[in-house]
Amino acid sequence: MKHKQFTIMLVALSFLLLLGFSSQVMAGETYKMGLSIDMTGATSDVGTPYSKGVEDYVKYVNDEKLLGDDKLVCFIRDDGYKTEVTKRNFEDFLDEDIVFYLNYSTGSTMALRQDFQEEQIPVLPASFHAGNLEGNDYIFLPIASYSSQAVGLAEYVAANHKGSGKPKVALFLHPSAFGRAPRDDVKKSIDAGLAIDLVEIVEHGKDLDNTAMLKRFQSKGVQYVISQTVQPPVATMLKGAQSLGMIAKTYGEAGKITFLGCHYGGGPALVALAGSAANENYYWTTSYKMMTAKGPGRDAQFALAERYGRDENVAKDANYTNGIMVVQVAVETIRRAKAKGKKITRAALYEEMVAMNGFNAFNSLTTVGPVSFSKADREGVDTLQLYVSKGGLFYEIGAPFASEYVQKIK
Amino acid sequence: MSYFFQLVVSGIVVGSIYALSALGFVLIYKSSRVLNIAHGQIIAAGAFITYALTVFVGIHIVLSFLLSMVITFFLAMSVERVFLRRLIGEPIISVIMVTIGLMSIIDGIIYMTPFGAENFSFPEFLPKTPISFMGISMSWTQMVGVLITFTMIGAFTWFFKASTVGISMRAVSDDQFASMSIGISVPKVFGLAWATAGLSAAAAGGIIGNITGLNFYVLHSFGIIVFPVVIVGGLDSIFGAIVAGIIMGLIQQFASGYLDGHWGLYGTADVLPYIILLIILLFKPHGLFGIHEIERV
Amino acid sequence: MSESRWLATGNFFTSYKTEQRIFLTHIDRLVFICFLAVLFAWPLIIEVGNKYMLVIDSILIAIIAVYGLNLLTGFAGLISIGHAAFVGVGAYTLATFARTLGGDHILLTHYWPLMIIVAGLVGAVIGGIVGLPSLRLKHLYLVIATLSFQMIFQWFINFSKFYDQGQTIAIGRVFWFTGKVGRRDHYFFWYYVILVIVVILGFAVRNLLRSKHGRCLVAVRDNDRAADAMGMHPGFTKVYAFALAGFFAGVAGALHAYLWRGVGFESFLLHHSISYLAMAIVGGLGTLVGALVGPAAILILELQVESLAEFVGHYFTAVGDVATAFRPLSFGLVIVLFLMFEPRGIANWWRMVRSYFKLWPFRY
Repeated sequence: MKHKQFTIMLVALSFLLLLGFSSQVMAGETYKMGLSIDMTGATSDVGTPYSKGVEDYVKYVNDEKLLGDDKLVCFIRDDGYKTEVTKRNFEDFLDEDIVFYLNYSTGSTMALRQDFQEEQIPVLPASFHAGNLEGNDYIFLPIASYSSQAVGLAEYVAANHKGSGKPKVALFLHPSAFGRAPRDDVKKSIDAGLAIDLVEIVEHGKDLDNTAMLKRFQSKGVQYVISQTVQPPVATMLKGAQSLGMIAKTYGEAGKITFLGCHYGGGPALVALAGSAANENYYWTTSYKMMTAKGPGRDAQFALAERYGRDENVAKDANYTNGIMVVQVAVETIRRAKAKGKKITRAALYEEMVAMNGFNAFNSLTTVGPVSFSKADREGVDTLQLYVSKGGLFYEIGAPFASEYVQKIK
Repeated sequence: MSYFFQLVVSGIVVGSIYALSALGFVLIYKSSRVLNIAHGQIIAAGAFITYALTVFVGIHIVLSFLLSMVITFFLAMSVERVFLRRLIGEPIISVIMVTIGLMSIIDGIIYMTPFGAENFSFPEFLPKTPISFMGISMSWTQMVGVLITFTMIGAFTWFFKASTVGISMRAVSDDQFASMSIGISVPKVFGLAWATAGLSAAAAGGIIGNITGLNFYVLHSFGIIVFPVVIVGGLDSIFGAIVAGIIMGLIQQFASGYLDGHWGLYGTADVLPYIILLIILLFKPHGLFGIHEIERV
Repeated sequence: MSESRWLATGNFFTSYKTEQRIFLTHIDRLVFICFLAVLFAWPLIIEVGNKYMLVIDSILIAIIAVYGLNLLTGFAGLISIGHAAFVGVGAYTLATFARTLGGDHILLTHYWPLMIIVAGLVGAVIGGIVGLPSLRLKHLYLVIATLSFQMIFQWFINFSKFYDQGQTIAIGRVFWFTGKVGRRDHYFFWYYVILVIVVILGFAVRNLLRSKHGRCLVAVRDNDRAADAMGMHPGFTKVYAFALAGFFAGVAGALHAYLWRGVGFESFLLHHSISYLAMAIVGGLGTLVGALVGPAAILILELQVESLAEFVGHYFTAVGDVATAFRPLSFGLVIVLFLMFEPRGIANWWRMVRSYFKLWPFRY
């Protein structure tokens, strides 16, 4: 019954939107949040499962009454990876009086940060660029930043290199703010004593063939390639490396290349795209719990996906988890503010966000460590988990870790 | 030195795939003088049809590759029949705009399927070991891709040189009124041009999909990537498309092989083709092999 | 003046001067003044949300950019798919100041009208330079030359350290006589500024086309050799057309930077160029009305399609990505169907409506 009512309300709402009214009356307490995301642009393969995660978890919250009789509404709107549309959506959501905002790309997060500051609204972007945190107080990174991820991988390489001398590493970056995010921090870590030899930094283009690049890597003795980019270029590179017989069979195999990737440069969707080239021995790090091995988090995610009729590809996608997690955090802050008897406003949610640390850290089923925010540290989950692909599935290696050098260079 | 030859070989491989992608533009432009902006979307559609036939229907990949070429042949023909037939005789710029609209429509249709937002990969049927010769390598996928490209281009060249239909298509591109007067059906020729462009797009889609995996954005952006190829070759020359494709492939490989990383330059492979294009156009305003139109006042 | 200046049922011009009047009849002028009054008055009476104010402001900015594109493509017949890069040049002129002096420098926040003009001039210079290949290139080959400029611009910004590799460069809030324009009044304030500029530039375009400096564009488009014989320099005229387009685009770019309070290269990509062209074509190439109507039509259509997609999505939640897919699908369909049935754009409707009233009560 509730579900039906909810649907009717949404329909009524969209009618009003259609007519161009910007205000509407709703019975009872309704908390609104907004998500502007790319579903028809360059990164629709990431944005779509993310938006499904948000949508399903919001439904779940309302169906299971996790907020009591109050309702959570999340406006989800496609921006096609265009910053202007993101801004338009954000202004629209503000007209709707949202109390919490979910953003998507690095570019739009950077472009809108002044607005977030002026509107004093807590924001969780899908971009984990550490630069998002500069020059404002209201953007929170859900998980460890790209810098932590890339430096963390580099530390793993340094610690586990079997051959003699420093391991030779190349960075494979997306030609944008998103890709370049960890570049300088990796360099700084090396200056601070991280024992790797950074041979080359490649900002890739729309290449169909990476043979020359891979051969160059090999001739320079590069044994590890760390990717901070989206899945398609990684897939093309891996397929190329596979056909050249360059992919290391075991970690750090001499004369071959071991490929490692940050959050958006790996995961089940990469295996879907690269086929057998990513099936074995691809190393990937993220703060999310892996969705293909066993565990309570995985079971809960699959149950959620099944409940709302998502197919298997979506259910196991790391960005489906990503979407669920940001709503979990938002719901948790609302729940805490309510428990303290506060009125749910942006300011109240912000207070709860920055108080989410120490004993108050939020343990979610979807992440490998607790989500903790404070005024000084707005990076959510500080720990990372390393995964390796075997037979097309990702398995954990070791315990969750935190990057040391990122702390050192701060 | 082997690095240099590797770049050459890779450049030729990539270039011939560009040539195949560019072929669709040339075929349409040759007969109807229209630049089809939605070509990248047709390439993507061809790749997805091949995948759907192989995995969802269960046909062998070689057969489904051929079958998808047949399907896109008829799809493109019906696109022409439904949307563009009415516009014969209207300003060319309106027709180009219609292809921009078509781009959105095909986008929309593809977003309705799982292909719009999910990644897929063709089942592998070729050996995974590279073909190596004196330290220069190339994968089987690329090898097959190059073979298909040259077969297709050879077939089209023969088609335009020797077959009656091909010759009538050339006649239409030369002078529509004159060809009508000798009994060639101009609308039919336009339809056929679109259909053959669709066919070549499906072939290109299949090959690119095998190299990059199936991601909608990657596949459809090929429509724009091959623009300079089409122009440098001359908009109406099939031979020009091959030569320009290979030139572009080589330029890109050399740019990313020798320029990137030096003097703070990156991503030169994406911009250098356009710079070279500008320079070539300044000296040869109709591309390398384009036909010079004689203008009369 | 034998004919009535209020009503004109046909052309009764007795001199070129009368034919060149901005308003043919007093009724035209009256309607125009009323329309202008409404445009200036409505925000004071009706209050709409920030979203709609933002959309309206961006329509006005697009109108300024399309003025330029329409002069270039519609009047001079030179197709350009690099127009967003020209707009980007204007915006990045401001970004240059912001990077060297700081985004809150007095030059940017107090002397913004000056900055807008400077951006326009820089746009004109770059436009003229980019127009140089038009001396040799024609038709689609020229299209690709402009495409090259677009690509080179994107690459340059994306890899240039000075421009922060394309990341958003902040531009401070401007000052008005009443003090700093805050977030609350931001879109409202810029509505008036941009509207004034739209009106001024609209008159400028109209007057340009009445003078020899505008008519030479049309002459070169229709037949450049004949134009040459009449004493016009076709090459110079083409470069001049590019410079004009660059000026309008530069002004639009500066306004874009102020309205969005920052300059990031993601706002000036190839697909923006294509949508400017779409605006110009849908509005109607070679008409001033087209430049005014096209941007409004495309941007409002986009908005409507978005609401429609959302509406459809609520009904077909089970079908999957219908809501996502519906947006590009219906957008494309509307454009394609419109052009199939009205390839001359909305301006053609405007012409028909006008001639209907002109001839009323008779039909053709």
